[in-house]
Amino acid sequence: MKMHGRFMVGLVGVAAVVSYLIWTGVSDTMVYYLTPAELVARVQADPSFRQMGVKVSGQVVPGTYERVEGQLLHRFRVRDLSDESVSFEVEYRDALPDTFTDDSEVVLEGRMDANGVFQATSLLTKCGSRYEAAPEDLKK
Amino acid sequence: MTVLGEFALWIALPVAIYGMFLGFFGGKTQRGDMVLSAERSIYAVTFLLLLAAIGVIVAFMGDKFQYWYVASYSNRDLETFYKFAGLWAGQRGSLLFWALLLSFFSTITVFTNRNKNREFMPYVVGVLQGIFTFFLVVLLFAKVNPFEKLAFMPADGQGLNPQLQNYWMTIHPPMLYLGFTSFTIPFAFAIAALLNGRLDTRWIVLTRRWVLLSWFFLSVGILLGMRWAYEELGWGGYWFWDPAENASLLPWLTATALLHSIQIQENRGMLKVWNMSLVAMTFLLTIFATFLTRSGLIESVHAFAEQIRIAYIFLAFLGTVTAGVVVLILYRLPQLQSENRIESFLSRESAFLFNNLILIGAAFAVLWGTIFPLIAEGVTGQKISVGPPFFNKVNLPIGLALLALAGIGPVIAWRRASKRNLKKNFMVPVVGSLAVSAALWMVGVRHGLALTTWGIGLFVLIIVAVEFWKGTRARARIESEPLPIAFFHLVSRNRRRWGGYIVHVGIVLIFAGIAGASYNQDVRKHLEPGDTMDVASPWGHTYHLTYEGLSTSIGRGQRNLDWQAIALISVRRGDKSLGNMTTEKRKYTTADQTMTEVSIHTSPEEDLYLILSAVDDMNGVLSNNANAQGIDLQVLVKPLLSWIWWGGLVLVVGSIIALWPSAERRRDLDEEEKSREVAVPAGAA
Repeated sequence: MKMHGRFMVGLVGVAAVVSYLIWTGVSDTMVYYLTPAELVARVQADPSFRQMGVKVSGQVVPGTYERVEGQLLHRFRVRDLSDESVSFEVEYRDALPDTFTDDSEVVLEGRMDANGVFQATSLLTKCGSRYEAAPEDLKK
Repeated sequence: MTVLGEFALWIALPVAIYGMFLGFFGGKTQRGDMVLSAERSIYAVTFLLLLAAIGVIVAFMGDKFQYWYVASYSNRDLETFYKFAGLWAGQRGSLLFWALLLSFFSTITVFTNRNKNREFMPYVVGVLQGIFTFFLVVLLFAKVNPFEKLAFMPADGQGLNPQLQNYWMTIHPPMLYLGFTSFTIPFAFAIAALLNGRLDTRWIVLTRRWVLLSWFFLSVGILLGMRWAYEELGWGGYWFWDPAENASLLPWLTATALLHSIQIQENRGMLKVWNMSLVAMTFLLTIFATFLTRSGLIESVHAFAEQIRIAYIFLAFLGTVTAGVVVLILYRLPQLQSENRIESFLSRESAFLFNNLILIGAAFAVLWGTIFPLIAEGVTGQKISVGPPFFNKVNLPIGLALLALAGIGPVIAWRRASKRNLKKNFMVPVVGSLAVSAALWMVGVRHGLALTTWGIGLFVLIIVAVEFWKGTRARARIESEPLPIAFFHLVSRNRRRWGGYIVHVGIVLIFAGIAGASYNQDVRKHLEPGDTMDVASPWGHTYHLTYEGLSTSIGRGQRNLDWQAIALISVRRGDKSLGNMTTEKRKYTTADQTMTEVSIHTSPEEDLYLILSAVDDMNGVLSNNANAQGIDLQVLVKPLLSWIWWGGLVLVVGSIIALWPSAERRRDLDEEEKSREVAVPAGAA
């Protein structure tokens, strides 16, 4: 019976370690997934919210995209998907995915700086991941 | 042909339902005629699904764009090869393809067991036909019929996403699907064992090679997907922790656990309930993965809304199967008691059990991270997401523990490891790997994580090498054979064991390659023709890159290709020229956006990976303006990356060795069956 008890301790230990890893993993790496309107509202209500890393999905405002040559810097505005009046400037210093166009729906990760410019550390495009066309598209 | 295909799909459903009832009922009542008819219904379903699949392929080949599925995944200019692959390019075809592959495996199972294992077969057929029924219902009633017609005939199709027009991407889904579907066979036997009450190791003996086969296909499928991402997605990574990838990793993790835990049941008669549960869990995860990879359930709420019906049908199926398995296990619980108990903490069964727990822990963590956004949104109303950092953080310690167990498991004694056993087996590997790690530290490898991974990897390699050496030497001495012959005989006499060790070597190489990322280099620069760029490798040498200029080709080459802008870069490593490398932007006629084609120079110590990040003036380039030549170039140096692919190859070789049929094993099986017949009078089961 002694052996059995020691063994149970080992098993419970493994389960505890895995749970601990998951728990800390989630709390250390989770980010809020917001709409641009929610992000702007949160930052206005509590300026310290700028420090939070967030994920935002919005729409690139057509015609606002510019690439700063020589600096590998991309700038554009992103607006809310439902409320067109809410938008902010985004800066992104990395290679853009092939699927990025100047009217893509994008998912950005990063934080809002003191000037209200969203400093994105990662950028994904949404329609790009759609390998399937909607039936309506075929009618075009 | 296509109309016939759709018709075949409709016929297949009643045949499957008929076979399901006849299988279960025939098994219960021991009616041979019913069982025979049920078995034949498997052949019928296979034939009908084959007709349906041919119907889809014919529609693709004949550019029949009145079919929604064809119009969405093909166009006239698509290369024939990709038209054929249209069968599994999208969700609708994939579901049919899944059922088709399962029907092939089912036919093999029914045919090879036509004269044996008769107590299992009725229920095996019943379970398989139940699964066919489910897939046919989904295909016909969940708005995913590949034969659905549009109200009009489009002039041309949408074409296939150019990113999917890649050799790796074409064979990656079939491999995964082979893995998913072949796992259904062990599941069917496990359920049959629960139903017929024959709960000794027979069902495991009959299906362990199916488990390994499924594991093999899953491994290859996952590796091919990684390779595709690395070559095609153009950012230098090979794993995103995206829901579709996670979904394929989950059954791989539980199948890996099962491959180890069935050995405990075979050798020590323990873990019977656990093995049943693992089989069921893995099967459910293959179904979950099939559903998830093609539905976009997790990433997009919109996709979910469109797919609500299929989501419900899948969830209902998963729930029903889970409930059924739980009830059956509870019902048979008295017969599923362990014949032995774990005697010592330091024993092989204990090492395997920890391996199992850790694998299940990893699977749980991955599952949790994948569905966490859904749960969080459901509970708090707040959308929260966890990304790659979560998965990396959680799986890192888990991965290292598993790697260490890959060395400990093979040599620690069953039941109770004595001090002598431990000292004899672990002294050399531990001291050896510590010494080499210390040496690596001395020459400047100071990255703790990488050093730990390589140290543990080395520990495993030494253990496996010592085992091979001991076995070969002993055989050479006893049989007085020369060493190479003794080695060959050693491996072929116990393919499962030595093949397994070779797989462990493959896993070590893969881990070593992954850990190489600790020394990744990433340099970006804006270049005009003639500009140079130096990139230092962590190995000490330097790559000198010279940008030679941009050239374009318009409307030539590959079909569906609009234009290509090709950056030419000459590369020297130290004083040695590596020749020219080209990285491109491409535009396909069937897609709105441009695509990047990267260039990779592979050597054993590292990959040099060039990405044409941006072109200053694309319109200028396309109108051949000589001044519009500025580009942004990103250069990655990825140490040991190719070890992942070499490790994958070793893993494949090891699995094939373990899978290879041997006359010896067949004889064992038959003898075991005969001895049982003597022990248990016929009709007692």
